[in-house]
Amino acid sequence: MKIKFSDILRHLFLAFLALIWLIPIVWLVATSFSKYTGMNTSTFFPEEWSLINYKNLLFASDSVTQFPSWFKNTFVIACATCVVSTAFVLMVAYATSCMKFKMRKTLMNIGITLNLFPAVLSMIAVYFILKALDLTNNHLGLILIYSATSGLGYLIAKGFMDTVPESLREAAYLDGASEARVFFTIVIPMSKPIIVYTIISSFLVPWMDFVFATLMLNSGISSNWTVAIGLNNMLDRMLLNQYFTQFCAGGVLISIPISILFLIMQKFYVEGITGGAVKG
Amino acid sequence: MKTVTNKFSNIFDSIMSGLSKYKEAIVKGDLFVKLSFLWMGAGYFRRKQYIKSLIITLFEIAVLVFTFTFAIQYVPKFGTLGTVKQESVFNPITMQKEFNNYDNSFQILLFSLVSFIVWAIFLVVYIRNIYRQYQLQLDEQNGKAPEKFKDYMNKFLNSKFHITLLALPVLGISLFIIIPLIAMIFVAFTNYDQKHMPPTELFTWVGFNNFVQLFGGGGITSTFGYAFVRVLIWTLVWAVFATFTTYIGGILLASLINNKRVKLKKMWRTLFVITIAVPQFVSLLLVKNFFADGGIVNTICANIGLIDWLRDIGMINTTYIPFLTSPGWAHVMVILINIWVGVPYQMLIATGVLMNLPNDQIESARMDGANSFQIFRHITMPYVLFITGPALVTDFVRNINNFNVIFLLTNNTYTTSNQALANSQAKEIDLLVTWLFTLTRDNYNYKMAAVIGIVVFVISAVCTLVVFKRLTSGDKEGAYR
Repeated sequence: MKIKFSDILRHLFLAFLALIWLIPIVWLVATSFSKYTGMNTSTFFPEEWSLINYKNLLFASDSVTQFPSWFKNTFVIACATCVVSTAFVLMVAYATSCMKFKMRKTLMNIGITLNLFPAVLSMIAVYFILKALDLTNNHLGLILIYSATSGLGYLIAKGFMDTVPESLREAAYLDGASEARVFFTIVIPMSKPIIVYTIISSFLVPWMDFVFATLMLNSGISSNWTVAIGLNNMLDRMLLNQYFTQFCAGGVLISIPISILFLIMQKFYVEGITGGAVKG
Repeated sequence: MKTVTNKFSNIFDSIMSGLSKYKEAIVKGDLFVKLSFLWMGAGYFRRKQYIKSLIITLFEIAVLVFTFTFAIQYVPKFGTLGTVKQESVFNPITMQKEFNNYDNSFQILLFSLVSFIVWAIFLVVYIRNIYRQYQLQLDEQNGKAPEKFKDYMNKFLNSKFHITLLALPVLGISLFIIIPLIAMIFVAFTNYDQKHMPPTELFTWVGFNNFVQLFGGGGITSTFGYAFVRVLIWTLVWAVFATFTTYIGGILLASLINNKRVKLKKMWRTLFVITIAVPQFVSLLLVKNFFADGGIVNTICANIGLIDWLRDIGMINTTYIPFLTSPGWAHVMVILINIWVGVPYQMLIATGVLMNLPNDQIESARMDGANSFQIFRHITMPYVLFITGPALVTDFVRNINNFNVIFLLTNNTYTTSNQALANSQAKEIDLLVTWLFTLTRDNYNYKMAAVIGIVVFVISAVCTLVVFKRLTSGDKEGAYR
């Protein structure tokens, strides 16, 4: 293929855009290796490079930074959330996609309506409900919040299950298989891309959420926090100059696993959607 | 309209037929059917379905216990939301100050609501139970053998499998979304705010007062009407810009990368996706400090003389560029930063859609001599719009509720100089949801927060309904099948 001038231009333009998009990320990584503790405002790259932030973050916990325990807390919460959420999403998706029952349309409409309310509105009442159950400042309460409502996010999985050919299920019914058997042995194995997508996306929720976590874990005991609360707290105006570079180091440390998961998830997401189009 | 009336008459019909069946059950039922008005398991017991009888009896007992130990504490006070404030009283027996037996308005509200829901469920089960007992009697008269318990349970793996599947998710959604939402909708009709914080002070019903206040009433000192209009306009402007800039940007970027002549497509895509793979609270908090008044961007701008130049032409009157701290600048900046956050997402979706483009149409258009802009304008764009149109509506609603971008970028650093806005705890940069959040978290003004929440819902619902109707009406449905 002959290289045209417009091709070079096109690639240059793409490179320029990518540069703009990556500047903050580069800054994050660069600053995390700075020797200085506060925000460097005079130069883009740090004047002196060092690994001290990572060392402090991982091995020298103080009253402000408890990164290892935050990481552990978030990981436990994320694992529990991911198991329950995935089960819920698959259950709701199968019921609404593959079964015909009287309340189906009504339930789906209620689901759409509920999604129109701003989530922060119900926050206060949720807090009181969990308080009545004595679950505030408790990781179980947070797991409940993240996973109990996950059933509402069933639409993508339902869209995928809609494309599983009906004839497959019908053949199984004719062989005398029960609905539960069809669910476990036919539809679930065929929904692999969307299951991976659901697992990863629900695993990521506790890492990304900040609003509900601050509301529920408000005791001020920093070893109880999740990563999101802890890192945000480091940027408090009083602490900024002492911890900004550690914040960046923490940001890098959690971004690495999350990015990897995200990239995998995105592949399965596209596969889930386009794969459906081919089959349907 | 016609379908709506039809729907209502359908519901009415089914209620009436249900009632007539119920009447028949009362009149023609035998002793045990009638006994099941009091003891719900009576009919089952008579037909020797002991396990079912036991289950339903336990259910009845549980509801009764719930009513007389739990609900009775709260429901009678629902009309007033409590009258006894918390006070410490000297107890002569223990010689200590103790709290009196006080009410808590919010608990009364919430737990009364829970009681109402439990009773509503009980009522449905109760009525259906009586009808089922009568059905069992008829079956017996016709010589039909009653269903075995094992067969009944098996149904939950078969024809009733959806109940098994949906039970837990629906329970979770009810507990953590529906009940809290209804409770907060109730709060919109009370005076629950900083001056009425239970248990030391109680709140009570005030009717539509809060709505009147939000829409401009509530006396001269109230600035909520003014703040509401300002915030609402910015919310809508933001939602329109945030939705369309990222949407169009995403499609353009996706088609740029998808172009046949572009090498290393995967690498380009990954570069853009990395930016959204970093959690928003990290990337946005970082960007916030990047553009801070004393931040790195300001230093660079000062070094290249941009700040002096801007001051000369009168754009700023400070020694820094107030990227995220003054109105105007901040409004533009959050939209720009949102492009940075949102375009990669839209690109991912658009890529998926573009992969399924109707290639034959494009080929034939090219044969007819259409240039690439014409193809984009007349084939690609309509197709993409058709596929992603509904998603555009959801995006718009999501942007009305876009909490993260505005909150993480401006929380704690943006202060308003507009006294009227400050009086109602709003800022120029606030969306309705962030205003709602500030009102609840910092000012405990739950009543106004609840009203704003309801308004947000109404706006989102109207947008969704209107646009969905537009998109799904007409004969476009089969266009691309």
